[in-house]
Amino acid sequence: MLKAANLIPQKRFIVVCGVVVILMLSLIFRFFYLQVYYHETYKQKAEVNRIRAIPLNAPRGLILDRNGEIIVDNYPTYVLTAIPGEMIDKHKNFQIISKSTGIDMSLLETNYKKYYRGRFLPARLAKDLTFDQLSRIEEHKQELTGINYIQFPERYFPRKINAAHLLGYVKEVDQALLNELNPKDKYLYGDLVGWRGLEKVYEESLRGEKGVYFVEVDAYGREMGQSPDYKKENPIPGKDLQTSLLISLQQMLENLLDGKRAVVLVSLPKTGAMLAMVSKPDYSPDLFTGVTTVAEWQDIISNQDKPLLNRMTHGLYPPGSTLKMITAMTLMEKGKVNYSESIYCSGIYELGDRHFRCWKEGGHGKMDLEQAVTQSCNIYFYHLVQRLTLDELAEACESFGFGEMTGIDLASEAKGVIPNSTFMNKLYGRWGWSKGHLLNVSLGQGELVVTPIQLMQYINILAMHGAAPALHIAKGNPIISSYINHYSDQTWNRMENFLRNVITSVHGTGKRANPGIPGLIIAGKTGTAQNPHGEPHALFVGYGKKDNELVSVVVLIENGGSGGETAAPIAGRVFEFLFSSKETMKLAFSS
Amino acid sequence: MIQLFLQKFKESTLSILAITLILTGVGLITLKSISTGHEGNYFQQSFYKQLFFLLPALFAYLIAFFVPRHTIHRYIYGLYGFMILLILIPFLGQEIASTYRWIKFGLPFGFQPSEFAKWIVVIALARYLSDHNLEMNHFSASIAPIIIVLIPASIVLNQPDLGTAIIILVPVLPMLYWIGARPFHLFLMVAPLVSILTAFHWLSFSMWASIMVYVILKAKPNLVFSISTFFGNLFLGLLSPVLWGLLKEYQKKRILTLFNPEIDPLGAAYQIIQSKTAVGAGGLFGKGWGQGTQTHLKFLPVQESDFIISVIGEEFGFIAILILITLFSLFILRTMRLAYNVDDRFSSLVLVGLGTIFTAHVFVNFAMSVGMIPVKGLPLPFVSYGGSFLLSSYIMLALIMNLSIDPKKY
Repeated sequence: MLKAANLIPQKRFIVVCGVVVILMLSLIFRFFYLQVYYHETYKQKAEVNRIRAIPLNAPRGLILDRNGEIIVDNYPTYVLTAIPGEMIDKHKNFQIISKSTGIDMSLLETNYKKYYRGRFLPARLAKDLTFDQLSRIEEHKQELTGINYIQFPERYFPRKINAAHLLGYVKEVDQALLNELNPKDKYLYGDLVGWRGLEKVYEESLRGEKGVYFVEVDAYGREMGQSPDYKKENPIPGKDLQTSLLISLQQMLENLLDGKRAVVLVSLPKTGAMLAMVSKPDYSPDLFTGVTTVAEWQDIISNQDKPLLNRMTHGLYPPGSTLKMITAMTLMEKGKVNYSESIYCSGIYELGDRHFRCWKEGGHGKMDLEQAVTQSCNIYFYHLVQRLTLDELAEACESFGFGEMTGIDLASEAKGVIPNSTFMNKLYGRWGWSKGHLLNVSLGQGELVVTPIQLMQYINILAMHGAAPALHIAKGNPIISSYINHYSDQTWNRMENFLRNVITSVHGTGKRANPGIPGLIIAGKTGTAQNPHGEPHALFVGYGKKDNELVSVVVLIENGGSGGETAAPIAGRVFEFLFSSKETMKLAFSS
Repeated sequence: MIQLFLQKFKESTLSILAITLILTGVGLITLKSISTGHEGNYFQQSFYKQLFFLLPALFAYLIAFFVPRHTIHRYIYGLYGFMILLILIPFLGQEIASTYRWIKFGLPFGFQPSEFAKWIVVIALARYLSDHNLEMNHFSASIAPIIIVLIPASIVLNQPDLGTAIIILVPVLPMLYWIGARPFHLFLMVAPLVSILTAFHWLSFSMWASIMVYVILKAKPNLVFSISTFFGNLFLGLLSPVLWGLLKEYQKKRILTLFNPEIDPLGAAYQIIQSKTAVGAGGLFGKGWGQGTQTHLKFLPVQESDFIISVIGEEFGFIAILILITLFSLFILRTMRLAYNVDDRFSSLVLVGLGTIFTAHVFVNFAMSVGMIPVKGLPLPFVSYGGSFLLSSYIMLALIMNLSIDPKKY
């Protein structure tokens, strides 16, 4: 085992030793060069100056409405920091700060612990310092070694609109968050990151890029000016985000809907741009800017009306009669309905041992398709939908974008449920469901649920006769996709006539959506959706046309009762607001 | 028994031990300087912790010194296998600073098994190279040794710890050279790596290609072999940017982190500049113990371990650095000399391997703190703070002293 003799040629021994000697000599040479030859340079650098890197925060991009009005702004605040390794007496420093600024000693201690990252990295002690507090700290600057303050731009909301669900909010990066974020993005402790809504979706462009500058610091930690050895890198401010929102309309609607649980969405079907997006109840967008008290917070999360829920994209509702257009168009397109064919509505329809009622007690009498849509007769549809299968109906719903996310530029949205036979089999078993379910689904009830934003897309597809650009909030957002539905022009035109009759005919359910502006043509449909939470939800979907401009509206009022009586008038207010004067039209439609 | 031990001790090369003790002392003095003026109790200070770590280190030293060499020889393969398992374990444990180097026992400190891989691999390799009568003229003889080092090195690389992986890999070259491998073969082993690394810089790649042509012409292998070597390497180099492009973003980041652990935008070159300033400011004689303003400092992270040289450079000056480098050189050259003189090939190879490990540690540590090579966290033997490494260094010292004694006597 250990028999092998050691027979190393001397030459190889010398080579190995030679390599070691060369390596060591190169080290000696290098240290000599630094420590003896260049000693003076480095000595000056080290003794007079020490260098401190100070990050320069980039202000976030502003969020603007379609006419450049500021929705979300920044304002400068000051943040007090401490560099642990430079503080000579931490306790004394904190005492001085606390005495001169009135900031609680325990708060300083808590923050110091919370934001401590290392001996030579600044830890945040307090934020939102006033100028008065700053000047007091400046007075004591000599004693306060290691204490500095930096400017920090905070979010600020100048107009009195909330729109909190849609704007989203920014969050301060802490350790837990840091682990979640992509390290590539180089977030640091205390940075702000868009966490919901537009702030999150457009984080990358809103955020900007941090700058850094280096100051020379004397032995007492006093800053002696900018270092000539290191280049200052200016922060690159975030890009402003211009949205398609019309701030005045948003404001009007938020006030109008105060106290209700409701959603109102307004868009331009030609481009897919959103003009107003209201989800009520809501909350002030500065809820998350850091000064929220525990009581305020408790108030919000314990509120039974769930103000934090974004009803626009996450509220799931039965669409009720607003879905009738799909049933009608499918029947028309498949040639399964004769336009002159009349059905008698007695107010009640019997299927097996179940009774289906029309909303109108006593019934509508004789109804053809046009009248059935205009007056929203349920019985007519109960009869005719039986000529379709559930899967045919589900497929038609999907072709209008239901059951899928709309892809609007908000951080997330719900998909809703469009039941087909597979779905029903899974839910009830192969024989557990029947025609009765089909009748329910055709009237937008039962298992079928949709989000308001899907309804917006649906009405836009109807308004555009099939080709509606994708919904978006950021202005100038390139049109990503359009919905193309393969219905014939005849079907589209006929449906549009029906929907106009809903507004104009004597018996039309949507009369109240018409503000009566000359030249304004309105088409729409009301809905009154039964639900297990009490009164039915009131719905209205529709669009208005004037001078070649097109606006679509979705109104949903939770437990609001009849769609024609509570939802349609709100749509009427929107049309009135936008079309009543040349000025408002210009504000809304100029691109 | 004790008598026998004492006798063995007297027979060993005590000069190496003396050098080590001086180095350890320098380390402690420096750590004390860093600790001075810090908050916290004794057991949070690196000086006292290091002092405490010396106990197990000395204990391990005694064991490694008195184990007979044939025992080491017999059990090294088993130890090698056990070590492979051990360095795999941290992958099951907690991530510390998103790496997997540590095993936690529930003690207030962790344990880094890859430290021990360094010398275990060297001994296993030495046994393989001395047990088999290898035809070192043929390249095929080098394949098994490469595999022996490549397995642990690639595991450690995945932890990810490039520094330790390099330390595990490097000794194979001088050890093969030591027993007669052709320098051209060693060149062939290194060539693919260099091809990949130079491929990202056009000029260095061209220069590397010329060097390859020169070396291949000089070595005069047969035509087919030289052409395939040359173009194989060229192709590998040209391919690597393409492969790089195929990697996912996080994979790229992981690889880049290996070469430059400081991705913090505010701290990249900054750390090196601060270290250089500290060293340069020290001058010929230094500012004196505890007087380094750069050091006390405010700027350097890991000054106790990886950047301890900046502290020494600033406080004790070039003279101290010169003495330190001289001491390390003496230590290493002495080890090589012992390797040359010892009677059996196994011991000789172990000594060369351990000498190489020390050389790599010393060179990388000194060089990085003055910006000669990219920041790579390798501590300085006996001087830097760190329990596992101190233990490992003392074991290596013991092995050098143990195996260099005349084998006929013990």
